[in-house]
Amino acid sequence: MKAKRSTPYIFLLPLLIAFGLFLIYPLGKVVGDSFYKFSFLNPSHKIWVGGANYSWLFTFKLYNPFFSYFIGALLRTILWVGGSVGLKIFLGLGGALLLNSEFLKGKKVYRTLLIIPWSIPWAMSAMIWYWTLNGQFGLINSIFLHLHIINEPIAFLGYPTSAFISTFIVDAWIGLPFMVIMLLSGLQTIPKHLYEAATIDGAGDFTKFAKITLPMIKPVLLTVSLLSLVWTFNSFAPIWILTRGGPVTATTTLPIAIYNTSFRYLTFGGVGKASAMTIFQVLLVTSVSLIYIKTLKGAES
Amino acid sequence: MKKVWLIVMLMGILAVAGLATQTLTVLMPIGGGYTIESQEILAKGFEQTHPGVKINMEFVGWANLWNKIVTSFGANNAPDVMYIASRWIPALASMGALTPLENYITVQKEHMYYPSVWSSLIYNGHYWGVPRAMSTKVFIYNKKLFKENGITKVPTNWDELLADAKKIYNPQKGVYGILMAGKKFVSTVTQFEQYLCANGGAIVDPKTGKVEIDSPQAIKALEFYKELSKYAQPGITNWTREDLIKLFEAGKGGMYIDHVHNALKAMKAGIDVGFFPIPGGPDSNAPYSTVVVVDCIAMSSQTKNKELAWEFMNYMSTLKEQTRWDTLQGFVPPMIKEAEEPEFQKWYWKPYIQALKYGHPQAAGIKDWVSTANAVLNAIQSVLLNQTTPQDALKKAAQTIEILQK
Repeated sequence: MKAKRSTPYIFLLPLLIAFGLFLIYPLGKVVGDSFYKFSFLNPSHKIWVGGANYSWLFTFKLYNPFFSYFIGALLRTILWVGGSVGLKIFLGLGGALLLNSEFLKGKKVYRTLLIIPWSIPWAMSAMIWYWTLNGQFGLINSIFLHLHIINEPIAFLGYPTSAFISTFIVDAWIGLPFMVIMLLSGLQTIPKHLYEAATIDGAGDFTKFAKITLPMIKPVLLTVSLLSLVWTFNSFAPIWILTRGGPVTATTTLPIAIYNTSFRYLTFGGVGKASAMTIFQVLLVTSVSLIYIKTLKGAES
Repeated sequence: MKKVWLIVMLMGILAVAGLATQTLTVLMPIGGGYTIESQEILAKGFEQTHPGVKINMEFVGWANLWNKIVTSFGANNAPDVMYIASRWIPALASMGALTPLENYITVQKEHMYYPSVWSSLIYNGHYWGVPRAMSTKVFIYNKKLFKENGITKVPTNWDELLADAKKIYNPQKGVYGILMAGKKFVSTVTQFEQYLCANGGAIVDPKTGKVEIDSPQAIKALEFYKELSKYAQPGITNWTREDLIKLFEAGKGGMYIDHVHNALKAMKAGIDVGFFPIPGGPDSNAPYSTVVVVDCIAMSSQTKNKELAWEFMNYMSTLKEQTRWDTLQGFVPPMIKEAEEPEFQKWYWKPYIQALKYGHPQAAGIKDWVSTANAVLNAIQSVLLNQTTPQDALKKAAQTIEILQK
């Protein structure tokens, strides 16, 4: 029996409906909302403002004489995501190599331990870190003081630079297990004989890593870093619990700025402005992803 | 034929059941002493005396209460009755989210409360809530630390306050003269407001709504806040007032401003606790000051059953229930009769009830509290972190708040 021409489309229909309902419709609504001034408290009262929300993004300044609130948040997001994803990849690869190595004993124990940060709800992890980083009762301070690395306790989350670094380290800690597990599975697919052949040819450890390991896990590495990149861009809970975007705006990344604008600046009619910000975030994440996917395809071929 | 009868009967039963159960959704906060059990009692009690009524109590953490309310209105799914902070009234009322209550609150009911309590609940000439919790604050101090540092009497002005904090401050031993809040959190704004009001300042003029956060009194208050913070625990920009009790309990702080229930907690932990009222600032004529915070129960404008909603609100605010609630939570009694209860005659309650005389409403005249608080918070943090001067920071905050007040 020959299938009708319409058959594939019928099978695709549920996906298309879901796609439209959960992606196209909300996205279209965000685009539409970005031209209005209104607040959640009174959603039926919408005022058309044209492109005013977009110009607000580049003109509304808060304490920083150089950048607008939005541009500041955007630049901060890029730095923050770079820091967090960089750490995840670097430590993730290191961890995976360690777990894959032959000299390490008790691998199963480590693998189980590794799952812990991932299995704890994010909010809980962030709360644990909130007290771990505390200036008076925190574990980190106590360790550093005992090792004489510092002379007096540091309130890590109380100052702009240390708060910025601390928040992305916490985010990296939360996302690390996923990285390690995925990369480990990539490492385990590399045939052993490649290394044996390389050893016979007199290759050193570094050469083996650069010429065999890295090229072989490149597709996995690119995929997981892309996923991690998208997730980290949207990371909200750790920052909100640790610092609420403060001190001042030191940890106000785009998700925090969008949240603040939509829920907190009610009389400003914040939903429209937050929608305009969201569109930039979507564009940014999508374009970064596209570049990545292109690179990925190049790697596969 | 049998089948038809069966269907008719079934429909009848369903109709009766539908009529018999009226559901009321009530949104309450949880956290601190606000437990689910202590609040569900209300639903059960009401259901017992009102057969056929189902009270559907929803709970949400304090920090998410505002968001929950805002999003539920956005989704046209607002609770019938909800617990709110009175500082949210102007924003909620001006957007048509609440039902005005003057037709429900009887004169008799109104007179049960101290008249000043209502000032936080009236906006644009309407009553928007029934009081649920009221609080004043005073300084709690560690008597042992005061004595050890040769302080024989409690401070009665800002110079003495600063001098005493300086005397106690000993960071090598992990002891701080004063404990302060600076994290992006609502209670940080209230902590700063204590000094602001004590110096005769205000965020906006309660009567005219004119922005006053950049007045000389306000600048002086923020300068003092920063000066005091030199003798506080380090990194106060990541401490909330709610967390300060942990330091005080551990004997790490000389004094700080808090509720009575935390003073009791410190006593239980073995601290010898004393109290003194918040001294007035150099630019104020009043000897003392405190910020009065009122939380209330409000009725949504989206509710379909206003009579039943009011009946429940009335049930929640009887003298008996209010007394149960305030003694359980450690709040200042908003009802005149309630203050006569034996519990409120205890020595540690006196400073809090006496402070009412010097009370300033937390948010009178502020149209959009959440945004205003954010602007003030940014000013406080940027000054504490030496990013700007008190004058510039408050000028900037004033510019933002002016837009919000329009």
